[in-house]
Amino acid sequence: MSTTIAPPPALARELAAIVGADGVITDLAARTVYECDGFTLERAVPDLVVLPRSTEEVARVLRAAWRTGVPFVPRGAGTGLAGGCLAAPARLVVGTSRMRTIRAVDVPNRRVIAEAGVVNAEVSRAVRAAGLHYVPDPSSQSACTIGGNVAENSGGPHTLKYGVTANHVLALELVLPDGDVVPLGDGVGDGLGYDLAGVVCGAEGTTGIVTAATLRVVPLPEAVVTLLAVFATVAEATTAVSAIIAAGIVPAALEMMDRTIVAAVEAAFRVGFPTDAGAVLIIEIDGDAAGLAMTAALIADLCRRHGASGVRRAADEAERAALWKSRKRAFGAVGRLSPSYCTQDGVVPRTRLPEILVRIEEAGLRHGLRIGNVFHAGDGNIHPIVLYDERDPEEAARALAAGRDILRACLELGGSVTGEHGIGVEKMVELGLAFTADDLALMRRVRGVFDPEERANPGKIFPTPGACVEQRAPRRQAAL
Amino acid sequence: MTADPTPQDAAAAVAARLGAAADAAHQACAAWIVGGVGPALVVRPADGAELAAAVGAVAAAGGALVPLGRGAHRDYGHAPRRYDVALVVDRLTRILEYEPADMTVSVAAGVTVSELAAVLAREGQWLAIDTPLPAATTIGGLVAADRSGWLAASLGRVRDAVIGIGAVTADGVRVRAGGRVVKNVAGYDLMKLAVGSLGTLAVLTDVTLKVRPLPERQHGLVLGADTVAAALGLGAAIEGGLGVAATGVIGGAADAAAVVVRLGGVAADVGVRRARVRELARRYGATVQLDADAAAPDVDASFVAVRDFAASAAGEMVVRLACLPTRLATVVTAATAALARVDGTWQADPHRGVAYLAFTAGGAATAALGDLARTADAHGAHLVVERWPPALASRIQVWHPLPPALALMRRMKSALDPAGVLAPGRFVGRI
Repeated sequence: MSTTIAPPPALARELAAIVGADGVITDLAARTVYECDGFTLERAVPDLVVLPRSTEEVARVLRAAWRTGVPFVPRGAGTGLAGGCLAAPARLVVGTSRMRTIRAVDVPNRRVIAEAGVVNAEVSRAVRAAGLHYVPDPSSQSACTIGGNVAENSGGPHTLKYGVTANHVLALELVLPDGDVVPLGDGVGDGLGYDLAGVVCGAEGTTGIVTAATLRVVPLPEAVVTLLAVFATVAEATTAVSAIIAAGIVPAALEMMDRTIVAAVEAAFRVGFPTDAGAVLIIEIDGDAAGLAMTAALIADLCRRHGASGVRRAADEAERAALWKSRKRAFGAVGRLSPSYCTQDGVVPRTRLPEILVRIEEAGLRHGLRIGNVFHAGDGNIHPIVLYDERDPEEAARALAAGRDILRACLELGGSVTGEHGIGVEKMVELGLAFTADDLALMRRVRGVFDPEERANPGKIFPTPGACVEQRAPRRQAAL
Repeated sequence: MTADPTPQDAAAAVAARLGAAADAAHQACAAWIVGGVGPALVVRPADGAELAAAVGAVAAAGGALVPLGRGAHRDYGHAPRRYDVALVVDRLTRILEYEPADMTVSVAAGVTVSELAAVLAREGQWLAIDTPLPAATTIGGLVAADRSGWLAASLGRVRDAVIGIGAVTADGVRVRAGGRVVKNVAGYDLMKLAVGSLGTLAVLTDVTLKVRPLPERQHGLVLGADTVAAALGLGAAIEGGLGVAATGVIGGAADAAAVVVRLGGVAADVGVRRARVRELARRYGATVQLDADAAAPDVDASFVAVRDFAASAAGEMVVRLACLPTRLATVVTAATAALARVDGTWQADPHRGVAYLAFTAGGAATAALGDLARTADAHGAHLVVERWPPALASRIQVWHPLPPALALMRRMKSALDPAGVLAPGRFVGRI
């Protein structure tokens, strides 16, 4: 890599000519907004932020950057949780926030072509009247963008039954780091040549800038039932999860909160959780109305047989919304318990959930920290929340160590270090534990096909020997 | 610069290096002809380590190989530009890891789809991909040839089921991507590259798949429609089936077509859906020819006929056309009209926007393909010639049109297989 990192002043003028003066941010205060994403441990104020309005402008911006040898960082809404759009080492940020056009809504063929800056929830909104929706629903869906979703291959509670972003992407429009615009995928969904769109999903912006995506939208389910099951212990709740899966039921979502989180959520939102509950499950099933009542009864029965003291069914849409609000805002509620907290995004095979919960508890004891659990139980995707006080550097260091212990335990149990947040800068070290040098070398060769000079989001994902930053404190906030 | 070795020299060098694992008997080679080209050596490794050694040996000898399972889909793609060694994975037959409650299974590449289905069925699960010729299709072949069947529109394609792979690169190095968990964004998704790449980027040793619970009840209906348009209109109107396919005849006066519907789910849902399908059939003027549980022999036979159409239909050519679902009726009508003077059959999947045409055109084959290509161009469709007579090998364009990202795909091939060891020339644009 022989690239100049900092964009020269002449480049700012050239870019302003492309995107208009209002599309180039040079003022320090305004640039500071872009110093981090949801991963706040590391911050870097970019030297320059450019906000193109079209694919053509993105192409011209990247061509100009290419000519001057300046690497860039693609950015959507900045809701990522792993530092994927940190403006370092590249210091030119190319944001897609002004590319918010939904280019096509094709109801009969069930697809939507959305530009990168379109907010996730807007896609579903655009087709709701036709009885359709866009399935991937990360908790940040009212803010996060399609471009960011593609970069991180985002998930959400409903991926258990319906899959993640890549399963819903039919085609992409990609601008390569040299400014070439390449359509990937046939848009029909039949496949034609190598599935490059599939590789770009989850590549965290290291292959160029995705400017538009053709997304599959599907009919809203005929009916939805949401259940709340209350257990005395986490162990009983995880056994119930296994029993539901073993019965051949694939819920649309299957979420768990433990005692610590339930108490915090109840204090914050008064949903009506018994505060002495050891764990609660939120179970959502969807499908045809005819069979749903029977499946709901079966689930309730399985929960009771595995120790549930109560199973409540959301009586109406308002109750269902309240339950989901408690789940999606659980992190916010944790603020009542502790000055600071950080979370992890490990995954284990779902049958290993009881073991990973024990390992999390042990990590808490070992490091003298309280850890709460709120997670996607159906997927085995855990989000342990380590509570600490960031004003105490020694405690912060222990929180960081606890998080790393948990991720290593996930790998030992046959899992992964990230289910939906991505590697970014946060977990580069852990990626090196998950894969061999040969595995990573192959991934880098694939990256080189798109980006031979490593101009697109350099210094992310791949562990570079000697370049790994020693993290001093875990991140404070997360919203998922 | 040294000249390329002859196939015999390359085969001899590989055989010398691998010893007993190589089988050069003439008959064995004759069994592994790909696109009209035969190998000089057959290698059947016993495990992943032997497979890696074999790839390394072929690379070192300056030769080229084609990875094969049972050979059911070997004629898919262009004839390989160079083919010295058939690398057959049919001895890699272990189920590596299966925990039903995880709803994932890891299998060696040589396990057949039928064998896997039997193992899964014992636990009430299935790989919800109705691939053609399951008894003759290995998991490696299913993935490499992307044999997503008629359930894809409702239950997903092969790319949606693969969550991890083990593979050997063109230089004989063993690598992994993905993992065993259903949600995983650690590192690049190289599984997507493996799916449908016909063994041109790496050789699969094992695959980890998402599986699903088997539906409590499965049910089939066969509906007779008077016209192609009615059949495809009816098929498209049927929501919530596991699979819907329409089939008909090319040539002659017959315009009639049948619609096969596969339903699945809990008994109550299947009952409701079945009533809806019958009501739709009435509205489209179609007759109900069959309406019974999937276990009934007639229903099973109709499902198998749909599943195996592309592989088993009579005719020396099979062409797949893919387009937006709303254009399918137009495309099928235009395509069958273009083939008015040849005999054949067609099948279409109204929800996926895919149609298969099977026909024999004799001396008019090239002209027929030209007509179909023009039909595709006129409707924004693409076509894939899935079966063609060996005589056309050098003239045929298997994929049409070529994808706009072809240059990037060529770069991918050069990056992962610079020496052209892995099925060179077999892929899109003769990559």
